[in-house]
Amino acid sequence: MTQSLSLGPGIRLRCIPDSRFKQGCLSLQLVRPMCRQEASLNALLPAVLLRGTRAYPDLRAITLHLDDLYGASVGTLVRRVGDYQTTGLYCGFMEDRFALEGDAILAPMLDFVSQLLLEPVLEEGCFREDFVQSEKKNLIATIESQLNDKRAYAMEQMIRVMCREDSFGIPRLGEIADVEAITAKSLYDHYRKILRESRVELLYVGSAPEEKVAALLQRLFDRIERNYVNLPAQTPLRTGPESDTIMEMDVSQGKLCMGLVSPVTIREEGFVAMQLLNYIFGGGMTSKLFMEIREKQSLCYAIGSGFHGSKGLMTVSAGIDSAMKEAVQQAVLEQLALCRKGEITQAELTAAQEALRSSLLATQDSPGALEGYYGTAALSGLAMTPDAYIRAVEAATMEQIVTAAKTLTPHTVFFLKGVST
Amino acid sequence: MNRQYYPALEETVCREVLPNGLTVLVAPRPGFRKKLAYFATDFGAIHRCFTLEGKACEAPQGVAHYLEHKLFDMPWGEVSADFAALGANPNAFTSYDMTAYYFSCTENFAPCLKLLLQFVSTAYFTEESVAKEQGIIGQEIDMAADSPDSRIFEQLMEGMYAGHRIRETILGTRETIAAITPQVLETCHRAFYSPQNMVLCVVGDVDPEEVAALARQVLGDEICPVAQKQPMAEEPMACPESRVSTRMEVAMPMFQLGFKCEDPGKGEQAVRQEIIGDLAAEALFGESSALYLQMYEDGLIDSSFGGGFETVDGMSILTCSGDSEDPERVKEAILAGLETLLKEGIPEADFLRMKRSALGRRIRDLDSFDSTCFRLCAYHFTGYDYPEFPALYQSVQKEEVQAFLRRVVTRQRSCLSVIYPMKEV
Repeated sequence: MTQSLSLGPGIRLRCIPDSRFKQGCLSLQLVRPMCRQEASLNALLPAVLLRGTRAYPDLRAITLHLDDLYGASVGTLVRRVGDYQTTGLYCGFMEDRFALEGDAILAPMLDFVSQLLLEPVLEEGCFREDFVQSEKKNLIATIESQLNDKRAYAMEQMIRVMCREDSFGIPRLGEIADVEAITAKSLYDHYRKILRESRVELLYVGSAPEEKVAALLQRLFDRIERNYVNLPAQTPLRTGPESDTIMEMDVSQGKLCMGLVSPVTIREEGFVAMQLLNYIFGGGMTSKLFMEIREKQSLCYAIGSGFHGSKGLMTVSAGIDSAMKEAVQQAVLEQLALCRKGEITQAELTAAQEALRSSLLATQDSPGALEGYYGTAALSGLAMTPDAYIRAVEAATMEQIVTAAKTLTPHTVFFLKGVST
Repeated sequence: MNRQYYPALEETVCREVLPNGLTVLVAPRPGFRKKLAYFATDFGAIHRCFTLEGKACEAPQGVAHYLEHKLFDMPWGEVSADFAALGANPNAFTSYDMTAYYFSCTENFAPCLKLLLQFVSTAYFTEESVAKEQGIIGQEIDMAADSPDSRIFEQLMEGMYAGHRIRETILGTRETIAAITPQVLETCHRAFYSPQNMVLCVVGDVDPEEVAALARQVLGDEICPVAQKQPMAEEPMACPESRVSTRMEVAMPMFQLGFKCEDPGKGEQAVRQEIIGDLAAEALFGESSALYLQMYEDGLIDSSFGGGFETVDGMSILTCSGDSEDPERVKEAILAGLETLLKEGIPEADFLRMKRSALGRRIRDLDSFDSTCFRLCAYHFTGYDYPEFPALYQSVQKEEVQAFLRRVVTRQRSCLSVIYPMKEV
C-alpha cells in the first residue's frame, strides 16, 4: 500500500511502508520536460551536488560520513520517462534496527540528502569551477564509453535515428557538445530554476512511519522558494522517415537493431496485451525469436525484444554474424507475421501471463524494484498498482494479443556491421 | 533438518546433508512471494583436467560452459518451455570455479524445483544437438571478444599467471569447442555432477523439510563417485608479465591493475583473507582513502574507478580498474600511495569506520535473493558458513590489513592490463 502526501506545491512524497527488508531507500527526482537545451544540464547537476556540501566539502568527507552511516550509499539518478527527464539522487541505507545500540541511520541520512540538495559548496555565489569542470569531463567520458557495450550502443544509434523528431531521440545524458558548453554559472542558474519550478517526486521504501519521513523531509522544502510550473502531458512517438542504416566497425560480431512503432502506449487499454505480446514475440528464453532464430537456426546467442510503453516503441536486437543480416531480419519479420496471423499457442500465452504476473509479484520483494516501479510508473502515465496490473494480465485474451501485434509497424533498421580493418 | 538462527542478521538457515551426499541449504523468507533456487556444482572452467575412476581425463577448454548449455536438453525437448508453462524463468551460469542452474518463481515452487533437480541430474545429449550448439556458443564467443570488460580481465590473467588455468577463457575458443562431443559431456557430467559435489540452495518462503524431501525423492540415495581435480601447477608470486595491452573499439584507455596474492585455500581462513583483502583495497584506494581523492582531483581516475579482492579456486588477486588517459601513472600513484599509507599506518578510528561500512553493505546485500543464494553456494564450496561473517569482521585487526598490503602491493607482483582505443587519441 502506498501513502501519498503533498509537501508543497508540486512536491509529492510517497511512502511504501515495509519492514521486511534490511535496508530502506529514498529517491528524490526533479521532473523536467526532456529537451535538448536541458538534457545535459540535468545529467550533470547531481554529479556536481555529490562533490561536496558546506559541512562535507569534498568526496572523501562525503564517503567518510556515509561510512559512519554503516556504508549507506548515495548516487546520481538521471532517468528518461517518456517525454520527461528526471534528475536527482538515490540513496540506500541499512535499517536502524541492525545498527549498534543507539545509532540512528535514517534521520541523519535524510538530513544529509537535504544538505546535498540545498547546501552545495559555493564559490562567489556559484558552483565551484573545478568541480564543474571535472564532472563535465566525467560525464563526457560516460557518454563516450557507451561505445564499449556494442549491443547497447547499436540500440542507442537506432533510437536516435528512428526518434529524431521526438524527445525520445535525445540521448538520456544529453549531447557531448552541450556538456562542453556548460559553465559553473549556467549550471548554477539552472539549478536554482529547477529547484523553484520542477515537480518533485520523493519516494521512500522502508520501515519508518510516514509521518516521521514526512517530518524529516518537510524541513527540506520549507527552505525552497517555489514557483511551480506544470509539466506538459506525455505524447505518443513522432517518427520521421523510415530508414535502414549500416555502420561499419572493427568488431567480431554484428549487432542488428530493429524498431517498430505502435499507437498503443502505457496510457492505452491495449498496453497490457502489448506487454504480453512482447514476451511471446521476443521477451524470454521461450519467445518466438529465441526459439526460432537461436535454438532452431543457431544464428545467434543473444536475441530479444523490448517494449517502451511510454512511447509505443518496440525494439528488437540480436548479436549475429555480419553476413547473416538479411536472413535474421527476414526471420524476425516472419515471427512477427505469425503473431499477427494469430499463430500463437495457448501455451505461449499462458507462459507470458505467468511470467509477467510473477515478475510483478517479485517487484514487491525488493526495495530497489519497488522504487523503480513507483518512481517511474505514475510519471509515464501508468495508473495501475502492481496488483491491478496483475488482474489485467490474467484477464487478457488471445484476440487482444493479436490485435496488439497488428498495431505494430516495422520502421527502422540499424546494423552495426563487423569489418576487419 | 538443522535450523540455525543468526540474530545479528535476522536470518535463519536450515541445513541437511542427504544420504547421497547432497548439501541442502534453505534460507526461509516469510512474507516474500519470490522464491529462488540454485542447484550448483563445485565445477567450473578451470577444472577441466581430472581423474575419474582411476583414469586421467583432459577435456577441451570451454567444456564446463558447453555442458551448462546442453543440460537444458531433455529427452522430451528443451526444459525452458516446461518452466515457462509453470511461470518460472530458468537460467544458468558458468564461472571459473562453479556452475549453477537456477530459477525464480512466485507460484508452482515444488514442480519447478523438481524440474530443476531432474534436468541438471539428467545427462541427455544427442550428436545433433551438441553439434548445433557450436553455432550458438560461437556467437557467444564473438560477443565476449567484443566486450572490453571481459577482454581486459582475460588479458590480465594471461599476464599474471604462469600455470593456473585462470589463463584460459571460460567459453573456450571456436577451435577448442569443436572437439566437444556427447561423450566428453557425459564424462564431465559423471565426474562432477554427483550430489556429493553439489549444493541445493533455496531462498524464499518455503518449507525446508519439503525441499530436502523432494531432492531426495528425485535424486535417490545412491552415492556416486566424484572425480579428483588435477591440482593447479605451483604458481610463483612474481607475474610473468608486468604489462599487457591491446587495441579495441573503446572510447578511452581502460585499465585493470592486479596484484597477485596467495592461494587463499579453504574454510574460515579463506574468508578471513577475503575480508582482509577487501579492507586493504578500501584502505589503499577506496573512495574513503586520501589516494582516491587525490587521483580523482588530479583527473587521473574518474567515477568508473573501483577495486577489491577477487578469489577463484587456487588463486586470488587485489585489483582495481577504470578508465584513464594515463594508466601507468595510476599504477605509480598506487605504489607511492602505499608507501605513505604504511609509513603513517591506518588510524584506528578509520579502520573501525571501514569495518562498519563494509559490514553494513554486506547486511544490506542480504535483501537481494540472488546475491544471498549465490553467496550461500559459493561459501559452501569454500567450506564456510556465510551468515557467520559479522563475527569475522569483529576479529580482523588493522595489523593484518597492513601486513597484507606490505606483502602484496609490490612491483614484482603487479601486472597492468590496458585496452587502448583503435584510433590514437
